[in-house]
Parts: sequence; structure tokens; C-alpha cells
Amino acid sequence: MTTRTPAVREGAAVPLLAAEQLTVRRAHDGATVLPAVDLEIGDGQVLAVTGTSGAGKTTLLRALLDVLPDGLHRPAGTVRWRGAPVPAGRPARRWRRARCGWLGQDPAADLNPLWRVDRLIGEGFTGDTGARAQRVEALMQQLDLPPVLASRRAGEISGGQAQRVALARSLCADPELLVLDEPTSALDRATADLVAEAVRSRRGVPGRCVVLVTHDTRLAAELADRTLVLAVGPRRSTDAEAAPGPQLPAAPAREPCTATAVRLRSSVPPATSAVPATPAKGPPAPTEAPAPPPTAAAPTTEGASRTVAPAPSPAPVLSTRGLILLTPDGTPLLDAGDLDLPAGGWLAVTGPSGTGKTTLLHALAGRRPPAGGELLLHGHPLPRGTRSRDRRMLRAVQLAGQDTVTELNPAHTAGRSVARPLKVFHGMTGAPGRHRARELLEAVGLSTELSHRRPTELSGGQRRRVVLARALAAGPDVLLLDEPTAGLDPVSARLVLDLLDRLRRSGPAILTVTHDPGTAARADQVLHLTGRRLTPRPPTTPDLSPEQRTEPSGVRQHHG
Amino acid sequence: MSRSVAFLSLSAARARRTAPVAAAVVLLVCVPLGRYAAPHPPERTVAAPWTPPGGRHPLGTDVLGRDVLSRVLAGGTQLLTLSLLAAAVAVVCGTALGLAAGWSGGRVARGVRALGDLLLAVPALVLALVLATALPGATAVVVAAVLAGAPLTARVVGTQCAYLRDSGHVHAAVERGESTPAVLVHEVLPNLRRLVAADAGLRLVTALQIAAALAVLGLGPQPPEPDWALMLSENLPGAALNPWALLAPAVPLAGCAWAFAATAGTVAHTPREAV
Repeated sequence: MTTRTPAVREGAAVPLLAAEQLTVRRAHDGATVLPAVDLEIGDGQVLAVTGTSGAGKTTLLRALLDVLPDGLHRPAGTVRWRGAPVPAGRPARRWRRARCGWLGQDPAADLNPLWRVDRLIGEGFTGDTGARAQRVEALMQQLDLPPVLASRRAGEISGGQAQRVALARSLCADPELLVLDEPTSALDRATADLVAEAVRSRRGVPGRCVVLVTHDTRLAAELADRTLVLAVGPRRSTDAEAAPGPQLPAAPAREPCTATAVRLRSSVPPATSAVPATPAKGPPAPTEAPAPPPTAAAPTTEGASRTVAPAPSPAPVLSTRGLILLTPDGTPLLDAGDLDLPAGGWLAVTGPSGTGKTTLLHALAGRRPPAGGELLLHGHPLPRGTRSRDRRMLRAVQLAGQDTVTELNPAHTAGRSVARPLKVFHGMTGAPGRHRARELLEAVGLSTELSHRRPTELSGGQRRRVVLARALAAGPDVLLLDEPTAGLDPVSARLVLDLLDRLRRSGPAILTVTHDPGTAARADQVLHLTGRRLTPRPPTTPDLSPEQRTEPSGVRQHHG
Repeated sequence: MSRSVAFLSLSAARARRTAPVAAAVVLLVCVPLGRYAAPHPPERTVAAPWTPPGGRHPLGTDVLGRDVLSRVLAGGTQLLTLSLLAAAVAVVCGTALGLAAGWSGGRVARGVRALGDLLLAVPALVLALVLATALPGATAVVVAAVLAGAPLTARVVGTQCAYLRDSGHVHAAVERGESTPAVLVHEVLPNLRRLVAADAGLRLVTALQIAAALAVLGLGPQPPEPDWALMLSENLPGAALNPWALLAPAVPLAGCAWAFAATAGTVAHTPREAV
């Protein structure tokens, strides 16, 4: 399969991969999920697919490879590989196996949790054992995966590591067609650059091409020979994201959603600014952050304003003293971490992949109690495990987790998932509860139609916002967010960040774990988790000017 | 062309899904009513023994000259009722045990598994035979099917429950302070629906087999009574004279097993949108 003699290659005019009028419909009601799309990728080219969350980017990739989930089918359209059509069914399966490397959107869910990392990466490799081991090692080194990881099982690695393992797995056999669905959503900037480098090294190589779905405009601009923008367009009434609120005037200009559902944009010149961007205004100054909450001018949501309880006092809402975190197998992640989250404050925790950021959030939420140290909520001790917390404490600390696939109950609709905390914590049932759940979903930018969908019928970005809405529904004092903008397009991400910014003035203090500099830039204080220590802001990255920091359109816009 | 192919394959898939459900519903309605459609009283001798099919006896007569068609129509009720009851009890007990074991883990899980292993070590039929010496036939069938089936259900349900216990939505429910029963009912059980449905089909077939085996061995319904399984043993000696006396009860017996197992499989594999 890896043979590629020049003779095999057709004339330069024939694109390597082409699709004509590729259409996807839902099987049970015939609704169009993906309107007709044409695309072409030449030899050695990289095609970036961008577009709003829920526009059908993942569906397009699945339609290309003929791996649509149950309930969707491809009634029309042809896929051509080197000019020859690839019929759906068995020929497509053989083609996939021989030619394609695929990185899914939820790598943690795609990797067999019981397999060792080296076995996962090397599975598709066809050479002998020694060559395979070398190849696996080289790939792990290339993607900055520490060698000790090779003997771990996929269930024991972090989200960002899982994403790189999945990428290494798809790269291992050096496939002719590489299909990547948001390969950098869980990665920090430096690691994302390694991924970008891996993709770039395939550019211009004869007989190779890449399809890349990403929300990272910088990545798309740097890597793509062509960009395909999927817009929601005509489906807006049924499937669209909620229309961006009035607070997003700049959005449509940047991401034109044309009525012609899809269009091709020719090569975008590489971005001029390689701003390493980051967060943080100078030294941490938590006390000045909480803007005066008065006057209900800010369109806060009702659930949040209810929790205004301990007015913006300098006393921290949530603190840790001497927090010790371990991995499940006992490796220390954090020694004696202290942090203070003031009322109305926003604290971001950044750090390389696999250093324990998610573990920190889980420890605070009580999901995985810390190995040692003290937690304080409003100055009072907070028990480590959820079992020993009372309802008031449970309501006060809400976590919106990272893995959107398992975070939502597959059997419940989005509306029901959001309505449940309303019932449990606020006794809102029946019509008022459903109404409030829809309000919350709208607040995070999801239209009311989506409240009847189950998680499998939502896109990754939509699921992430349902998880956020569910956490907001409790009316917490502290909102713990694990990668709140991963998988969101810039417009939706900005909507979410703006919402959080408004909410925190009168409601919950926010602690986010993030790789996204735009998200970190919204925080009052940035802590960097590395080398088992929490240090104020990353030492290597320069500050941005205050103007840039306060610019409300923070998300990745400055790269685009 | 591709559109018409897609259309055909969709409707074929739908037919595959609906056929077993329709068959199961028809059986459930018709079997208890069959007695009233019988052309002759099922327990009365109406012709010479082993009369071949023809005339007033479309399926001929049996060992005592009773009308085979009438006996087949009247003979499925007890078998079906017993199997359904036994399967339902087995699935409910097994699911409850499995949830308890999978959720609490540790000692409870080990206890449930040890108990299950003990019961599974005894062959179901031996268990049923021993029970039948002490209990009435019908009770023995139900108890044996539950003892043989519930441990299997408990094991699959327990494994899946332990897996789900670690997923984010279950953690989120625990972090909301929901009670354990609420978490199990709202977060865990809905996601076990397909597994339990598929398992219920297997339990039903096992119960049907146990009930039929006891009846064939003479430990179930007693002779004048019409019963599919009993008919098999009664009419075996005359298989050469009137094979229909043997085939006629065998077909609905196998049909029931297929219809219920396939219905369970359909529920287990229905695409989520259609549920």
C-alpha cells in the first residue's frame, strides 16, 4: 500500500481526492444534514475545513470516508480517488484501509482503553517488529510524547496525550490520505505547533494529501493550500446555531455565512503574526478584578444572579492549601499547590499536556479526591469527596468536564440534561424548568430546537456548550471549566466567553483549564501548572498589551 | 439509481425489524385465544388413533384419536405464560443484582459473583429436575429458570454498570447530590436498556426450553391436558403413522422461541433515533 512509483501517479490535472455533490441526509425524516459539497485536493495539498460548530464538518469527513453513523446516509454524490470513483460499501472500506489515516474528534473515546500506547500507535504499520518499534518511537518523539507513555494504557493518559497518540496512530503507516478532525483542540500552543509541523511535513510530498478540520484559524492559514468554509446557510431554521446575539457585531464580517451553503476559498496567505499570545496582564492582581456587579444592566441570567450571596468581598470563594495531586498510579502531579479564587474572579490554569490540569479540576469538584491538602469554600473547609459534601456545597462547585462524549447521558436530550440540576437544586420542574433550560441553552448559543436532541445528534462543539449550560443551571458559586472552548468555532467561543465574563460580575467565580490563549487572556490571573508546581503565568511567553487583553473578541482572532 | 437502492435497503431493514415484533404480538394474542378456535374439544377422542390428515382433521389425530389441530391451538398457553413469567422474574432479579454489584463494587460484587458462579455450576436442567421433585411443575420451571438465568443477567449488567459508573454524566449526577437510586434509574438504567433487552430474549428462550423439557419428561402438565411439549413425547411412537402429530406442536414451539429472541434483538439494535 505504501508503494508509490511515479508511474502510478496520474497527470497533475487529476486531483488526488475529489468529491462531487456530496450530500448527507438523516435516514428517518430525510432532513438534509450536509448540503451538496464539492471539493478537490491535489497532490501534496492540504485542505482545511472550517465553519461554525454544527455546520457538518465532521459529517463531511465521515461522508468522504463512507463511515457515516447510524441514522445518516449519503443519497447523492461521488468520491473520487485519483480520478476513479470510490463506491460506498466494501470498496470504500478497502480504500480506507489501504489509503487513509483518520484522527477522530474524540480521540479519547476512539482509542481502546485497554491497549498500550505503543500497540495503539503501531497497529497500522505493516513492516516487521523492529521497524515498527522504531517508527513508533520516532513518532512519539516527534509529537513530544514521553517514552514512559509507551507502556501506559490508553485509559491512563490525559486528553491532550490521547489526541497526540491518536494522531501518531493515524500517521504511523504514512497514509496517502490523512484526515484530521480537530487535531489540536486539546493541545497547548507549543504542542499544537508540533502537530502543525507533522502536517506541514506532508505538504508538497507527491501522492500525499491532508484534510484538516479545525477551528484554529491560525493553523488553517499556516497549513492549508485551500480552505473550505461550511456555513449553516439554508439549514439555519432547523439545525443552525442560535443566531449570534447583538453583542457580536463583528462576527459575521469575519466569518461570512453565505447563502450558498458552501464555498471554496483559494489559498490563504500564511498569517503574518505569529503572536505567541498569551494571557495575563502583568502580575496577578485578583482583588481589582471583580467589576462592580451593581445595576442589573448586564443581562445576567436569573440562576446566576441568585447566587450573588457573598458579595464581591476580597475573601476568596475557593482556595486550596497544600494541595497534593497524584495520578491514579501514584505519580505525583502537584506538590503543595495553593490557589485562591476571589469572588467574581477568573483564574486560568494552563500548562503542558498531561501535567494534571484536569486532575486539579476533578480534585476541586470532588470527583477524584486529592491525595492531600485542604480545600476551602468561602473560608470554610470543603470535604474532599462529593459523598461528604452537603447539597449547598455541591451546588456551589460545578464542573463542566472535558470529554463531551461521556459527560452527557446518551439517553437524555440536551434539554433534559440541563433541566435536571434545576430540579435538584432549585426545585424547578415541569414547564418552568423546561423553559429555563431552553433559556440556558440559548445563552450558550444553542437554538431551542437542539434541546430535543440527544448527544449523538449534536456536534462536539454543541455538546460542549450543553455541558456548560448544565453546570450553569445549578447556579454555582464556582464554575470549574475544563477546556470550555475546545471544539468551538471562534464566533461560538467568543459568545461563550462573553457570557462567562458577564456572569461572573454577579455570579460564579470561574476557574478554567485551557490551552487556548484567547480563553486564558480573559482571566484575571493565569497560573501555569508545570513541574509539579503552580506558578503565576507562563514564564516563557511575553505579555500582551492591555488593549489586546481587554479586547472582547479574544478568541484566536488575533491570529487570523 | 442510488436513491432507489437506498430506499429499498431502508424498507428491507424496516421489514427485518418489524417482522419479529409482529410475530411476537400475534403469538401473544392468538395463543391464549386458540382454545376457543379449536374445531373439536381438545381432550376428546374423535377418530381412530394416528389418522393421517384429511377430512374433518386437517392435521390428523394423535395417540388417543384426538384432533391434533385442536390440541395445538389449545396447547400453548401454559408454556408461554410460564416462560414469560420466568424470564421476567429472572431479568428483574438479575438486573437488580447486577446494578448492586456493579455500582458498589468490592465485597458486594464479589458476593454476587460467587453466588452466580455457584448457581451456574449446576446445569439448568438438573436444577429443574431436582426442584420438580419437591415443587409443583409450574413453580419448578419458574424457580429453575430464574436461578439459571439471573446470574447471567447479573454478570453482564454488573460489568456494564461498573463501566458506566466511571463516565462523566454519572459523576456529574453524583456531584449534584442525587441519591444512588436516582442515579441508577436516570443515568445508568437508560443506557443499559439495549443490553437488558437482548438479555431478556436469551432468558426467555432458556425458560421456554426448561418448561418444554420438564413437560416432555412428564413433570409438567399431566396427560389429558393439551400441551405442545407433552404432545411431542405422547406422539413420538406414532411418528411414522402421522408425522403431523409430532411436527404440528414443534413448529409453534420453535416459532415462539424465534419470535421472542428476535424481538429482543430488534430492540437491542434499533437505531437511537427510532426508539
